[in-house]
Amino acid sequence: MLPFIIYFVTAIITAVHLLTLLSLAAYGVTISPFELLALLGSFLILIAAYISLFRPYAAARIALLAALIMWSFYGPAIATYIHERLAKRSVLSVVILRAVRPEFRQSIEIRESRCT
Amino acid sequence: MIAYLATALLTLVTVYSTIVSFRQKPEGEVSGWLFPHAANRWTRILVGVFTVAVIVGVAAWVSVATRSSPRRSLQFLIPENYTGWVQVEFGVPGAKILPIESGQAVVKFPASGVLATSSPAQYGWAKDSYFYYSDAGLRQLPSSGAGRMIWGKINAEEAGASGQRNYEEFFVGTERQFKDEAGSKPVPTLPR
Repeated sequence: MLPFIIYFVTAIITAVHLLTLLSLAAYGVTISPFELLALLGSFLILIAAYISLFRPYAAARIALLAALIMWSFYGPAIATYIHERLAKRSVLSVVILRAVRPEFRQSIEIRESRCT
Repeated sequence: MIAYLATALLTLVTVYSTIVSFRQKPEGEVSGWLFPHAANRWTRILVGVFTVAVIVGVAAWVSVATRSSPRRSLQFLIPENYTGWVQVEFGVPGAKILPIESGQAVVKFPASGVLATSSPAQYGWAKDSYFYYSDAGLRQLPSSGAGRMIWGKINAEEAGASGQRNYEEFFVGTERQFKDEAGSKPVPTLPR
């Protein structure tokens, strides 16, 4: 039961996270193909959750493959996040700012500079 | 918050699945909680019931949320060949109410791309439609998929010196135009 719970919860949480990021496309944010690949990875982990009830070792291999696929997105994203944090600016604002109108952009930048 | 949780769980799955995949399985190993063998019949039934309950629950929630939405769908009529931001401001005293046609509230923008209405802003789920209008008639604008012409739609409330504002705005144009011009083209607003 433990592998099922771990894989199931991970699949749902990562899928919700990735779908939230993909929904930013409505505001003109460019979608990375790695985001779609990571979403496929979430789906594979969900499949692994159900396979783990019958064949735990086969499920672990599928989950490992899926996790590696997902790291192709999360790895560079974390590296960018850390880099941006060190530069005292959040990743989200950098992504969003490109698609935001100048008057809002200015107020966001002012707010950011107050926070940091 | 969810980003941190997703990363932590992904790390956990990576570590756990690596250990399970590469560890040497001892002869005659007893099923444990950390490395269990195949689940027994009752666990599988329990998971099956749980899955069906989740699917039915989500389907019921989506169905109820869609039906109970108080928002009337909107039909946006935009002047032919208009590109750029359009804005409709709701709840403006003295302005006209939105006419209703075939169950849809009609939002007909003038050439300026800005419209004021005394109709209140409504919130909820509804499928809106978008058209270019001209003397020749209406031409539907796709709001999704290939050839999409509607971008960056937002509903917003803003409190300012002139009171509370409820407005909805979006960009009309191709994806290229949205990316090139959305940041530089000003949003038309009502004169104050």
